[in-house]
Amino acid sequence: MAEYFAIFKNGLWNENPIFKLIIGLCPTLAVTNTVVNGFAMGLATGFVLISSEIVISLIKKFIPNDVRIPSFILIIVTFVTFTDYFLGAFFPDIADALALFIPLIVVNCLILGRQEAFASRNSTRRAIFDAVGMTVGFTWVLVLLSAIRELFGFGTLAGIDILGAGYTDMIIMILPGGAFLTLGVLVGVLNLLDRKVGSDNG
Amino acid sequence: MAEKNNSIGRLIITLTVIGALGALFLAGVYEWTIPHILEHEARARERAIMEVLPEADYYEEVTHNDQIFYEGYDENDNFVGVAVSLRGGGYAGEIEIMIGTDPEAREIINIFILNHQETPGLGARITEEQFRENFENAPFSELEIVRRTPEEPQEIEAIAGATMSVEAVKNIVSRVGDIVSEYYGGGS
Repeated sequence: MAEYFAIFKNGLWNENPIFKLIIGLCPTLAVTNTVVNGFAMGLATGFVLISSEIVISLIKKFIPNDVRIPSFILIIVTFVTFTDYFLGAFFPDIADALALFIPLIVVNCLILGRQEAFASRNSTRRAIFDAVGMTVGFTWVLVLLSAIRELFGFGTLAGIDILGAGYTDMIIMILPGGAFLTLGVLVGVLNLLDRKVGSDNG
Repeated sequence: MAEKNNSIGRLIITLTVIGALGALFLAGVYEWTIPHILEHEARARERAIMEVLPEADYYEEVTHNDQIFYEGYDENDNFVGVAVSLRGGGYAGEIEIMIGTDPEAREIINIFILNHQETPGLGARITEEQFRENFENAPFSELEIVRRTPEEPQEIEAIAGATMSVEAVKNIVSRVGDIVSEYYGGGS
């Protein structure tokens, strides 16, 4: 069990997709302007990641090495299209907000990367723990990033007014520039934190 | 990964089987979700028509030359206006707007943004009540964007940081007069 927990924890910090591996940045930069969008994007990506890791770890023995990448993409595309229709049918507001970033989950290298690096080499049970860990790791950074951007950009958090009516919105934080600024500072701070904790421990 | 059996036939079969199973699964998903998606779209359109023709009790769809007109009637079956849905390019993608008009008075009653992909917080503010109010009672003519409180009916107040989106909405709405006048003569 400890082994599975270690795989799960890996995604939260040590190999956190966004601020350690720096992958999956397209949705990270694009949709993190409000907390609701960031959270929904994390969950949508997570669903695709978990489902495709399960399927690929189950059928890995049948996939010839030469066509493994196209096979992975086909499986990922299937789940992304499912997510697109599912959100459109049952959560139209979220589907409207995320719009074209849902189909773009296909090319999120976090998902393809985990298939190649993990699901295609490990048992299904290990793959599930990896996928869930990566999902939580991806989502918490998206939520933190979007919270900072929404707070400075709109003065709100998840739509609730925090900074009051007197606050002048910093439009830059909502635009792509704000995403780069916030992500850069955040990665720097988290790495500093990591180094500090690392040196204290050893 | 299966290292052996990397013959071309094996590769083709693998991809075909995965593709076929995926397509089969998605066909099922499509059948399951499409009624809900179409229902949301129809409900959104109906809400938009009622929003832009506030006096209407019900509406009828009439098609003239491939353009659908939604004719609004009140409870006494009196004609209260006609709504059309027009599209045009915005800053980040297509914008679709439902526009309610009063052909007799040659005026726009109200507008409602059906679909857009404008930047949240900036261009997306075209959906806000405060911006849409600009178009109430605007005349059938080329509208103007101003950077102050509008004084004339054809003036539209700009949104800071959303010049392109406002311009796009203005251009789309400015087209409505000619389209409606062609079939609903009004005073002329």
